[in-house]
Amino acid sequence: MGEVSKLLADYGPAFGQALLLTWKLTALSFVPGFLLGMVVTVLRLLPLPPLRFVLTGYVEIFRNIPSVALLIFIVFALPDLNVLIDYEPSVILTLMLVCSAFTADYLRAGINTIPGGQMEAALSLGMRPIRVIYSIVLPQALRAVVQPLTSLLIALMLSTSLASQVPFPGRELTALVSKIANDSAAGIAAFAVAAAIYVATGLLIAWAGATLEKKVRILR
Amino acid sequence: MSRPLEEILFGNPRPQVQAAMRAVSVAAAALLLLLAAGVAFRFHTAGQLDARFWEFFAWPTTWAFLATGLLGTLASAAMAAAIALALGLVLLLGRLAPLRLVRWPSIAVIEFLRGTPTLLLIYVCFLVLPQAGIKLSTYWMLTLPVGLSTAAVVAEVYRAGVLAVPRGQTDAARSLGMTEAQVFFLIVFPQALRYIVPALVAQLVIVVKDTTFGYVVTYGELMQNAKVLIANYHALVPVYLVVALLYCLVNYAISSASKRLGGPMH
Repeated sequence: MGEVSKLLADYGPAFGQALLLTWKLTALSFVPGFLLGMVVTVLRLLPLPPLRFVLTGYVEIFRNIPSVALLIFIVFALPDLNVLIDYEPSVILTLMLVCSAFTADYLRAGINTIPGGQMEAALSLGMRPIRVIYSIVLPQALRAVVQPLTSLLIALMLSTSLASQVPFPGRELTALVSKIANDSAAGIAAFAVAAAIYVATGLLIAWAGATLEKKVRILR
Repeated sequence: MSRPLEEILFGNPRPQVQAAMRAVSVAAAALLLLLAAGVAFRFHTAGQLDARFWEFFAWPTTWAFLATGLLGTLASAAMAAAIALALGLVLLLGRLAPLRLVRWPSIAVIEFLRGTPTLLLIYVCFLVLPQAGIKLSTYWMLTLPVGLSTAAVVAEVYRAGVLAVPRGQTDAARSLGMTEAQVFFLIVFPQALRYIVPALVAQLVIVVKDTTFGYVVTYGELMQNAKVLIANYHALVPVYLVVALLYCLVNYAISSASKRLGGPMH
């Protein structure tokens, strides 16, 4: 315990900043990733074969590519194609792309839980297919995927640790721990503090997700 | 659901709508092709289509080297998966134990391993353990953390499976005079496994992805070997594209297998 309090005295503010950066990266990649995933889901429903084909490829690629490989490609290979993206936007872009692919996949599964009769009923009331999608299909699909999206958000939060793989000016938690472990012998204490913060953040997200889930879920 | 949603929504449009859809389809295809052409042109102007960036892919040595990397990836992933399956079972038994003294530490370990990034655990094995005088090989520096963090997830997957086994099974087994161990290992767990095979296989994708961190500890897996290739040929874009494609193919194969296994078991 003595080690931890000494560590916090030395690096307390640094840990605070690292935590804020971790949260910021998580939020900035989840929100656009989620919205993009929703757009991809809707576009994949449209009866346009070429678009469907390309978007299915998009989802499969970004669901299956390791995030690190994607990040390294964006940071180190894209400059060779004259596309220069700064380190922080690169991390956010990586996580956003991966998040959008998983969101699209989960939403599709959520859509499959809706009984087909609902759509038939809506159509027979004279609704246009697009109207059916955004007022019947999407709201129910969204309510069905709260739990997987909560897991996705936690996974995304843990994935922000890969920001430590690029020379970032700011340090998120994992980068901070590796720096402390390099500089001093306080590695174990630093690791314990960072792990506690990650676990606490994850539990917080899980609790928020479970609360939301209880409110919006549809019992079938 | 009897018919897929797309068919219900757009199943039998009127002729004019059908014609319009076809026109939009063609337009979309043209747009996407234009986009692809734009990307190809970008490669061309950046000089990335030059022969010197691609010719080494015609050499068998390049592929042998990438295959070695892929084997390294698979060796690490397989061992990590084995650790996860075994340790996950131990954690599950602890999690389900009636004794609080066993249950609470198990929950703590599961939450800790599940809630910590694998990369952070790798850094512990890589930077912190040597300070404490424990020296691991690069293989274990990668495999152990990946296995540990997967074990916690697997324990939760197991638990979901065990909870899904109907309670009557347990009661019937007990009334036949089986011991608790027999009930669990002969009746409940085998059935639980059947429910969760797809989830376990899907978890394998995450293990393969996590082994990408091998280059952090310079273990010779696919990503690390890609870095070596790049250092030799200065061909970042082609090598990373090929490696990304290899990862996608391996993981896509695993996820398709998991979807095929996902059919009803009873």
